[in-house]
Amino acid sequence: MSRIRHLIVAGATFFAAACGRAPEVTKGMRVALITPGSVADAAWNAGAYAGLTMIKDSLGLAVSHQEARTPGAQEEALRAYAAQGYDLVFGHGFEFQQPAERVSAEYPKVVFIITSGERVKGNVAPLIFRLEEGTFLAGIVAGGMSKSGKIGFVGGIELPPIRNGYQGWVNGARSMNGKIETRITYLNSFDDAAAGREAALAMIRLGVDMLHHNADEAGKGVFQAAKESPGVFVFGANADQSALAPDRVLGSAVIDLPRAFLAVAREVKAGRFSPKVESFGLEGGVIRYQPNPAFGGSIPAAIKARLITAQDSIVAGTLRPLGAR
Amino acid sequence: MSGSIAPLVGFLAAAVRIGTPLLWAAAGEVLAERAGVINLSVEGSMLAGCLGAAIGAHASGNPWVGMAAGLVAGAIIALGFAAVAIWARTDQIIAGTALTMASVGVTGLIYRQATSGQVTGLSVITLEPLAIPGLHSIPLLGPVLFAQPLPTYLVGGAVLFIWFVLYRTTLGLRLRAAGEAAGAARAHGVRVRLIQTGAVVVGGALAGFGGATLVLAQVGTFAERMTAGRGFIAIAIVVLGRWHPAGIALAALLFGAATALQYVFQAMALAVPYQFFLMLPYLLALAALTGVAGRVRAPAGLGRTVD
Repeated sequence: MSRIRHLIVAGATFFAAACGRAPEVTKGMRVALITPGSVADAAWNAGAYAGLTMIKDSLGLAVSHQEARTPGAQEEALRAYAAQGYDLVFGHGFEFQQPAERVSAEYPKVVFIITSGERVKGNVAPLIFRLEEGTFLAGIVAGGMSKSGKIGFVGGIELPPIRNGYQGWVNGARSMNGKIETRITYLNSFDDAAAGREAALAMIRLGVDMLHHNADEAGKGVFQAAKESPGVFVFGANADQSALAPDRVLGSAVIDLPRAFLAVAREVKAGRFSPKVESFGLEGGVIRYQPNPAFGGSIPAAIKARLITAQDSIVAGTLRPLGAR
Repeated sequence: MSGSIAPLVGFLAAAVRIGTPLLWAAAGEVLAERAGVINLSVEGSMLAGCLGAAIGAHASGNPWVGMAAGLVAGAIIALGFAAVAIWARTDQIIAGTALTMASVGVTGLIYRQATSGQVTGLSVITLEPLAIPGLHSIPLLGPVLFAQPLPTYLVGGAVLFIWFVLYRTTLGLRLRAAGEAAGAARAHGVRVRLIQTGAVVVGGALAGFGGATLVLAQVGTFAERMTAGRGFIAIAIVVLGRWHPAGIALAALLFGAATALQYVFQAMALAVPYQFFLMLPYLLALAALTGVAGRVRAPAGLGRTVD
């Protein structure tokens, strides 16, 4: 019975959305989020949506969300929210930077926050997540635990933040084993989970026993490949993904998106916001390495000790996960 | 198995794995196209099959209930297409595209309602590879062809059955007549639109089964838009296979092999830009299409609305 009711609600929601009701005019601050993919990906987009929900619940602001996958649709979505008078608009990904700069020129009062963006321009400001600090720590565990000396990474599309996450993971693994061999495959898709699985299986056939990904929904296939292959372990990305394969995930490089989103919304609400590069790393806990507690006992003490010293050095600035620049 | 052929076995087994869902969808599309209907909603049927399979298997705990649910979900999308394109006489290309887009939206909506944001989503138990006693120990071919999940063997049977129906039964003759010369067929008492509807719905069910294979024999969960254009590739496979069941089986394998090859190449860390490997399956399909051009002849009534 409840399932039928669910379907009716789903159908009603669908038609309400399809009919395109005019937005209700509300006083007070309004916040919008545009994601480049589904918020059911258990990772990058899901985290942003959780952030938006938290803004609604703990700050009591009116919120709205849209999914826009193509550059044209993304610019239109930014423009639509700006035109409707939203005060704060999150463009969730590097790809929103340039469209937001164009829209901002017409709507200078709207604050545009670009997650993984690259620079400040007018009221467009980036949130930079140094995920490489988390993947470096994941890499330490991978490099220390790999029996074959081969590790592999499955990326969705080659974007700068994804490349950085990969580089951090490789450097972390190399810091434990200078002779580690690394592999990388790009799927050219964030949706194709079967491709993620085949890419991972191809690496496993070549001897890879530690896998990491940054491919959102397509990454689910990487977990499945590890589940099917004895002795192969996997690291999650962007969210704590231990639950996707509880006996195969050693840990995840996590971005606490809700915390970062909330911090920005608070500043805008209090009128304290000024456009600047907001950069988040291990120091405030927005980026962290989240080990899977199920493996607490099987990670050697030497690796655990190395994780702690590496984390301290990264926070102190003496260790650079992307290498010397 | 000797060590030297192990990489080859792994690659060929991957080719068969990747080719299987494509062949299910292409087998369905060949039925529709031989009956004169170009059905672009096959991508939507596959995606609906993915979600149906995930929900069916998750709710029942039995992967075969999931396979059946995928079949039904694929048929439902095809039924929608048949109603619009065959009975309401809308342009087939537009109707198919619309149904596919609707399927993307509806599957996403239902999936989000069904999981309401849990991390694990709809994870299901997958069908294990089933080694056929005796046959699977044939060198090379055994582990490639006879240590696959059951849907792979079934698709072989389905293709044979479709060949039999098309070329050895009166129903098949009528179906092909509907696709070549609908007017003449009707003059001979063939109920053209009924036959087309049947071909489209059975075709959609097969595509749904292909989607279910993707979930239950491969990924083990649903992801939105997870078919990622496989339905459209299946349509290309039908052309490549020259609208013949044996041809599409070969074409699906070829496409599977090209895709498997690009993963192997990327994983080998060769000094070639990865974008080249991503192009490989499509380049190969294009080359094969040009190679058979001239000898290719589509069913004469393909895509024409029947009054």
